[in-house]
Formats: sequence, C-alpha cells, structure tokens
Amino acid sequence: METKVIIEVLAASVRIATPLLFAALGGLLSESAGTFAVGIEGMMLMGAFGGAIASLICHSAVAGLLASAISGATLGTIVAVATARFRADQMVTGLAVNIFAFGLTSFLLRGLFGGNAPAIVLPTLGALSIPFFSRLPIIGPVLFAQPALTYAAFVLAFALQLFLTKTRFGLALRAVGENPAAAFSTGTDPGRVRMVATIAGAAIAGLGGAVLSLQELGTFTDGMTNGRGFIALAAIIVGRWIPLRVMLGCLLFGAASALGLNIQGWGLPISSYIVQMMPYLIALGVLCGIGRKARMPAAIGKPFIRS
Amino acid sequence: MLRPSIDNNQREEKTAKIDKESVIAKRRWPIPGGFGVTTWRAPLLAAVAIGLALAVSAVPILISGKNPLLAYWAMLRGAIGSADSIAFALNKSTPYILAGVGVAMCFRAKVINIGSEGQIAVGGVAASWIALNFSEFPSVIVIAAALIAGAIAGAAWSAIAAVMRLKRGVHEVLCTLMLNFIGLLVVSEVLRGPMGEPGAGFPQSPLFAESSWLPNLFPGIDMHAGIIFAVAAVVICHVFLWHTPFGFRLRLLGGSPSAAAYSGVSFGRSVFEVMLIAGGLAGIAGAIEVLGVHYRLIEGFSQGFGFNAVAIALLAGLNPLAVLPAGLFFAFLEAGALAMQREIGVPSSLVFVIQGLTMIFVLCAIGIGAKERSV
Repeated sequence: METKVIIEVLAASVRIATPLLFAALGGLLSESAGTFAVGIEGMMLMGAFGGAIASLICHSAVAGLLASAISGATLGTIVAVATARFRADQMVTGLAVNIFAFGLTSFLLRGLFGGNAPAIVLPTLGALSIPFFSRLPIIGPVLFAQPALTYAAFVLAFALQLFLTKTRFGLALRAVGENPAAAFSTGTDPGRVRMVATIAGAAIAGLGGAVLSLQELGTFTDGMTNGRGFIALAAIIVGRWIPLRVMLGCLLFGAASALGLNIQGWGLPISSYIVQMMPYLIALGVLCGIGRKARMPAAIGKPFIRS
Repeated sequence: MLRPSIDNNQREEKTAKIDKESVIAKRRWPIPGGFGVTTWRAPLLAAVAIGLALAVSAVPILISGKNPLLAYWAMLRGAIGSADSIAFALNKSTPYILAGVGVAMCFRAKVINIGSEGQIAVGGVAASWIALNFSEFPSVIVIAAALIAGAIAGAAWSAIAAVMRLKRGVHEVLCTLMLNFIGLLVVSEVLRGPMGEPGAGFPQSPLFAESSWLPNLFPGIDMHAGIIFAVAAVVICHVFLWHTPFGFRLRLLGGSPSAAAYSGVSFGRSVFEVMLIAGGLAGIAGAIEVLGVHYRLIEGFSQGFGFNAVAIALLAGLNPLAVLPAGLFFAFLEAGALAMQREIGVPSSLVFVIQGLTMIFVLCAIGIGAKERSV
C-alpha cells in the first residue's frame, strides 16, 4: 500500500473519531459522577438536530454549536431530573431518552419544514491547517490539517483529564461517583453534583452531534447518529473511565471504522460487518478481562439515598 | 455467593417469614435499584404515565401547527377502526409481548436484561436457516423446527450474557447491550454471505417456501398464528412466577438478595435460568417475525424491539399477565400513528416521542414509590 493511502486512512480515522470522542468525554463526565450515560446516543442526535436547525436559521456555525450544546443539555436535564431527583433507573432512562430524542428530532424535522423527509443542506466546516505543523511529514496531514472541532475534541480530552485528576471540583465529582455518602459527609451534595455532571456531559455529547451535522455531513437526517453513542459507550469501557485512554479507544474505533469503509475497495478478505462488530467485541473483551476489578466508578448506577 | 450454613429448621423459618412479609402478601414490584410499588397501583401508574405522555406530546404537535386532539382521534380511529388494522396491530404486538414477558421475568429477579433485540435477531437467523434449508418437509414440521431453532438460538445468545455476568462479573446491561449490536450485525453478515438473495437490492434472504409460512388464524384476514404463542407465553410465565418454586426464587432474589442467599437460593442458577427463558422467548419472537410477517430474513428486522420489550415490561409493572395489554397498547399506538400520518399528515415518528415519554414517567413513578418506601 502506498504511504498516501495510509495517510488518508489515518486522517479519516481521526476525523471519524471526533464525534465519538465528544460523546465519550461527555459520557465519561456523567459516569465519573455516578450516572450511567446510556443516553448519549439521544444527546448526540439532539445536538445534531439543534445545531443543524440553528445554523440553517442564523447562517452561523457558532450559533449552531451553541444550539447543539443546549439541545444536548436539554435532554441531559431530563435524564438528570429523572435519575437524580426521582431515582429512575439510569440505564433504562437512557434507553427511554434515546427513543424520545429519535422521535422528537424526526417529528420536528417534518413538522417544522413540512413534507415527507425534507433535505437540509448546510455548508460544512472546512479543514483548518495549522501553520508549520501541518507540513510535517505524515503526522502533519493526519493531525494538523483537520477541521476546527476535531482539535477542540482532543484539547477537551486533555482538559477533562486535568479536571478530573487535578482540580478540586473534579476530585469532588469523582468522589460522588465512588462513594456518595463520603462525599456528602464532606459537604458535597451528591444529587446536585450528579445533575450538573449529567447536564454538562450531555452538552458535550450534543457537540459530538454537531460534529456530524455541521462538520462531517452538512445535513440532518433521521437517526443520523446511527449507534455512534453506543460505540462511544464502548470506548468509555475500553478506556476504563480514564479520559486519555478513552481518547485512544475512540481513535481505535475511528480507525476500525475508516478501515471498514475502505475494505471493499481494497478487496480484503474480511467483511465490513465483522469490522463494525469490533468496537463491541473489544468492549466485551475488556469488560470480561477486567471483570470485578473494573475501574468503573464504584457507586455508578446506585441512587444516592440520604439517610 | 454467600451461603451461610444454617440448619433446615432455621432456613424454613426464614423462608416462611420472607414469604409472608415481603413477597406474597404485598406483591411488591421490584425493579432495578431495589424498591417497589404495590401491585394495585401499577395499572394506575401506567395510566397516569400514558396520560402525561400524551399531554406532553401535544406540544410538538402544536409546534408543527396541527391540532393534537384531531391527531389523537385519527390515531385511535386508525388503530381500531377496521378488522385489518386490528389484525395489523395484533401481528405487531406478538414479538413485543413474547420478548416483554421474558424481560419482565428477568427484571423480577433484578436481572436487567435489555438484550431482546439481539436475541430476536439471532432467533430470526436460526429460524430462517431452517426455513430455507428444510422446506421439503411437511409444513408443521418445518414451522415447529424453525420455532425451536429460534428459541435455542435466542437462549444461547442470552446465555453468553449470563455467563459473562456470572463468571466475569460484567454488568448484564452492558453485555446485553453490546450483544444487541453484534446480533444485528450477525444478521447483516449472514445476508451478505450464505443466506442472502443474490441480486436483491436490499440485504435480504430469498423468499421462504410457502410451506414454512406461519398460517393465518382466520381465512381472509392477514393475522398470523403467532399471537397464540404470545398469549400462551404470558399464561405460562404467570403460572411460573406466582405458582412455582422457580418463580418464588425469582421474586425472592428481586425482593431481597440477602434473604434469598440465606434461604439457600442459588443466585447463579436462577439468573442463568431466567436469562435462558427470556432469550428463548425473544428467539421465538424473532422466528415468528420472519415466518409470519416478512417470510424472509431482512436486515435490521429486529430494530427497536428490544427497547419496546423493556418499556412494555415496566409499563406492565413486571406482571406477566399485564404484559398482554401493555404490548397491545404499544402495537396499537404504532398502528394508529401510521394511520394518523396517512390521514392528517402528522408524522408517525410521534409514536417514539409518546413511547419514550411514557417510559420516563413510569420510571419516575417507580422512583417516587421507592422514596415513599425508604422514608
């Protein structure tokens, strides 16, 4: 294979990993505070929809990004209120908001624009080459000639790592995820922290949706996230709830996806469906391998009951 | 699993006490998180949740510039207006009820199996394999074999998750979720390879021979015999849950895992058994879907069924008998939504908004119930 093809596939991997990375980081924030993030698929979808509609109306990508974060956070608020306030089961609530988001976006798309399946066309955010770095061999075109949101996603991964390990708020947030009773005894309100973490995580996942609708495809279609939220969930598992490892997990799945797209063209003797299974198989493998010793936040999924 | 040695007398005493206090007498509704609501309130909660969901769903209808009351009226008429529409809804409800009752049994024991979708998918694959390869046999034998193959495949798929749960301590939600996606891709893969119809534009298998089609219940009405299996499954699960030692163990596990351990209930065995039952039922649902609705294997035919199974089980208060009306409600909702779109142009995707909201409200209601109990 030529170097050029390899570079193209690597660059595509990074690009495909971007929405996954936003979603996974958002989910990670929520899970670190002890709320399972099964709903990130729906949050991405809401973000993709909100972003597309706002940027269509305002003719501004910035407005689109803002709207996508708000749309994601709106769905996150539903999850946060249901799980933290009413102690609804987190996993099943996640499934419920996913189906809700699918229905709402699909309904509003038709309701607002009429017709059967109206086509939205938006200009996509172009690549933003970073001077000097983008001319480096191999890593230049792979890492430094990407669209703006891609850089933002990777910066966010490092920022989240710092936030969760070095700052007072980040540590308090993780304490709530590990042992809410202990956190409560030090004056942190676990319910509130979980709500904030879930909503903030949902806003980030919403941005992941905006990557799809504003940067990758320039449109919105029904259910366009197409299971990416669940792949992000798998990436969180594979990264064992550590932001930088989750980032590597997203890159791995991005590469698998980029390979899957190219497999037919290259005539490789492996099915693209098998490649698509990889994220889930790897996640299951990691889950089985780490078993009870998982670095999963200890109190995840358990409602905090003040006694 | 913790199993302290206590002599038989003590054990019986403990069992009897638990029996009277928390399991039989009050018939709690155990759900993930470890709390319950008494049974008589479950139908009320379900009705309130549905009402609230319909009320909130009126907002997007208003935004799209339509009258919500007219929309719901069109939906109702579309759902129950004619024999054909009722038959359509009953066909739709069959896989929901089969998978939903299995999920309800699992949730009773606090095994959060959300893997119906994958189990339905592989059940459909197994049934299709039988239908495609053994069509020269008499109709009854092919259909029976296909249903059994579906059940075995579904149970096996679910057993993978059970083994991961029991041997490696993986949360069953995560492994059943991942197995759903793998199951869907298995369908795509077999359609790309050995079972696909060459030259078809869509990933699908060739049409089955007519001998393997599930017969219609009444001549002239497009309603297959699958609903009989669904009703039978509901009745059998009801008897199992409330009138057998097996069902008692499940309820005990769901009500109080430590009490179950003290009275010698094997956690692993119960989890394994209930997962096999749920997987088998979902597999049969998959088989019925390919043999009775599509007459072929189609890519993504099981999509969305897993969510509906969970929603229906919760809406039914995890009560097998109540799964029947809950499943019918979901099916009629979907049938009605299609009619609503045809008649007054309100998009049928509204049905997902209603379903999602119903489930959120049910979950919150269960949570409130827990709050009351914990006080």
